Amino acid sequence: MNWRKGAAVAVAIGTAALLAACGTNNGGAGAAAQSSPQQASGEIVFWSFLKGSDAVAAAFEKTHPGIKVKFETQAGGPDYYTKLSNAVKSGAVPDVAVAEYTRLPEIVSLGGAQDLTPAAGALVEKTFPEPIRQLVTLGGKTWGVPRDAAPMLYYYRKDFFAAHGLTPATTWDEFRALAAKVVKADRKARAAAYLSGDANLLTDLSWQAGAHWFGTDGDAWTVNVDDAASKKVVNYWQGLAKDHLVGTFPTYADEFWQGVQSNKVVGYVCASWCAGGLQATVPGQTGKWAVAELPSWDGKPASAMWGGSSFIIPKGAKNAAAAQTFINWITTDPTGIAAWYGSGTSSMYPASPELLPVAKKSFNTKFFGGQDIFEVGTRSYTAVTGGWTWGPAMSVTDKALLDRIGKIQAGSLGDALAGVDAETTKALQSRGLNVRG
Amino acid sequence: MTQPTVAWTRVSRPTSAAVLGAQSGPGQTAPMERPKDRPNRGRTRPAWLSRSVINVVLLIAVAYALLPQVWLVMASTKDLHDLFGTNGFAPGAGFNLDENLRYLFQAQDGIYLRWLGNTVLYAGGGALAASLLCVMAGYAFDKLEVPGREALFGLVLVGVMIPSTALALPTYLLASKVGLANTFLGVFIPGLVFPFGVYLARIFSAAYVPDAVIGASRVDGAGEMRTFWSVAFPMMRPGFVTILLFQFTAIWNSFFLPLIMLSDTRLYPVNLGLYVWNTTAMSQGRPEDYLLAITGSLVAIVPLILLFLTLQRFWRAGMTAGAID
Repeated sequence: MNWRKGAAVAVAIGTAALLAACGTNNGGAGAAAQSSPQQASGEIVFWSFLKGSDAVAAAFEKTHPGIKVKFETQAGGPDYYTKLSNAVKSGAVPDVAVAEYTRLPEIVSLGGAQDLTPAAGALVEKTFPEPIRQLVTLGGKTWGVPRDAAPMLYYYRKDFFAAHGLTPATTWDEFRALAAKVVKADRKARAAAYLSGDANLLTDLSWQAGAHWFGTDGDAWTVNVDDAASKKVVNYWQGLAKDHLVGTFPTYADEFWQGVQSNKVVGYVCASWCAGGLQATVPGQTGKWAVAELPSWDGKPASAMWGGSSFIIPKGAKNAAAAQTFINWITTDPTGIAAWYGSGTSSMYPASPELLPVAKKSFNTKFFGGQDIFEVGTRSYTAVTGGWTWGPAMSVTDKALLDRIGKIQAGSLGDALAGVDAETTKALQSRGLNVRG
Repeated sequence: MTQPTVAWTRVSRPTSAAVLGAQSGPGQTAPMERPKDRPNRGRTRPAWLSRSVINVVLLIAVAYALLPQVWLVMASTKDLHDLFGTNGFAPGAGFNLDENLRYLFQAQDGIYLRWLGNTVLYAGGGALAASLLCVMAGYAFDKLEVPGREALFGLVLVGVMIPSTALALPTYLLASKVGLANTFLGVFIPGLVFPFGVYLARIFSAAYVPDAVIGASRVDGAGEMRTFWSVAFPMMRPGFVTILLFQFTAIWNSFFLPLIMLSDTRLYPVNLGLYVWNTTAMSQGRPEDYLLAITGSLVAIVPLILLFLTLQRFWRAGMTAGAID
């Protein structure tokens, strides 16, 4: 048991050092930690499933000789979060872990993350715009440092649209008409994909439509999954799928890519990071694709985010000081951000607008015929509907939604949302959280 | 497997009075050879049990089992373009297997070979040690007079009922308490526990090792250990191999425990590595990882096939031995 005590002492010392750094710098703690990396040293263990993580770790070691990063690739998806929370339970935690915005509140509410406010609160406040800050802030405290935002975009086949005199829709009503025209133009082609095995699409489109599934009211959570906006969205997509105006796929995986390659998928809704995957998967369609903003319900620009990641220091991390230095560098330092683009295929949209030039410089837009996709991304990013909070039990909410969205032939998905709402509320209560409304 | 089936159809067909009358010669002697405990004596076999129907059903089952393998073989020979552009069960435009294999063994500094090696150690080493423990325990339960023996054996049977996935999390928490999380031993040691193997070994011991032989060995002055190693163990060898195969496949297929126990990629067994490649292909837009996952899966089933072909007779003997008891 000796080593456990040692670790506890190390954490205490690390925290004390951070607090001291904070005290002396009077509000500029984050900046201080960032500009004086020699303060922290030692080895840190880094968990991530993001593309380019290995390159980022290597680039960091080169610029920070005192810190050694032990990078451990993780499998993405729900299993990752199970593993992370088990690691926290057991005490064998990494020093730095990736956490998508979607799951951050759950990690925090289960006590899995360290409060980064003293070390990085000012940095986050200074660097990131409000909608992103909101996703890593809970109860007035900062729990993670954002890396990328993930504004939603509409990807479409420019050549197909031009050949049939079509243009991307600006409202969802127009989009339905567009989808019908696409089917008319080519019996096999579809203007969008409905995902029966991935809850994100419907969740994020509900966000775009102005839904607020989760919120806080004093010390209680509010759950409102089956509000009018969400019902409208899921019923609309169920209608499109039922009328075969859009293709149905489990996820954006093999089956979907087969559709893309055989020119059956001529448009789909995804986030900024999908551009990299698209150009890597169908290099034969170079120059044929373009991106547009999402249609909205009232014609005014509106968007949401699909994914996007931040970095946290899990509770029990042994080298929190070095971990903080690492996190700050990979999320806010231009060199650090550039390292993510090292392979030249990542199209992630940096959460910090100041770093946008780095992204533009790194991503070759030949696949999109030279279109400035980051400029479209920026328009989408600034139109992200405000006030969205992810729930503290998204694993349950996600699963509950997944159980239902596959059954598009039976009943109304809008009604099914009530079931998702109930399951989520129950999960929150069973975890000892207050739920109101 | 086929021969007993044929014998059974010959034997039972004449039991219907009508058929019995129509048949002559060797068929008439058959009912006498029929074991007395046949449950369907004197009953007519319904039409849907006729041989052609059974064969069709079997064929469908075989096709169902083989189709994924066909897909896997076909997919491993395609490049990325053909993988998404051609039918899954048809060959692609080009033959890319050699290219894919080269890519597989070179990816991430040849980590795939290391994963294969890890799996052989986890599954091979673990199954060998586990089977030895099982055979020893089973023998002890069967032959040695230990106080509280049946109660202990009951405990082992309870262990059979608990799925290993349910134990993965507690195992992990225990392992991290003693510092074994994210280590080779963290995955290796749980593989040594195999209650069903102990149960099988006890049956094998009862069936293959006559008490009289043990008695004779003791009379001749052999100690307990010598009796076990020189007399009982050779007799139980088919049982040993059966248990070995069972546990080998169990560890080979074990997924959840390594998933939560290991975070260092270099310690991964091959199935976990393939899983990581598959998720990165899907969620990260790294489609080239599909090829790794697919070709890697094909290569990973080769050792299993070899193992089953070489140890087939033990395997079959073991399966039927279980049925008798």
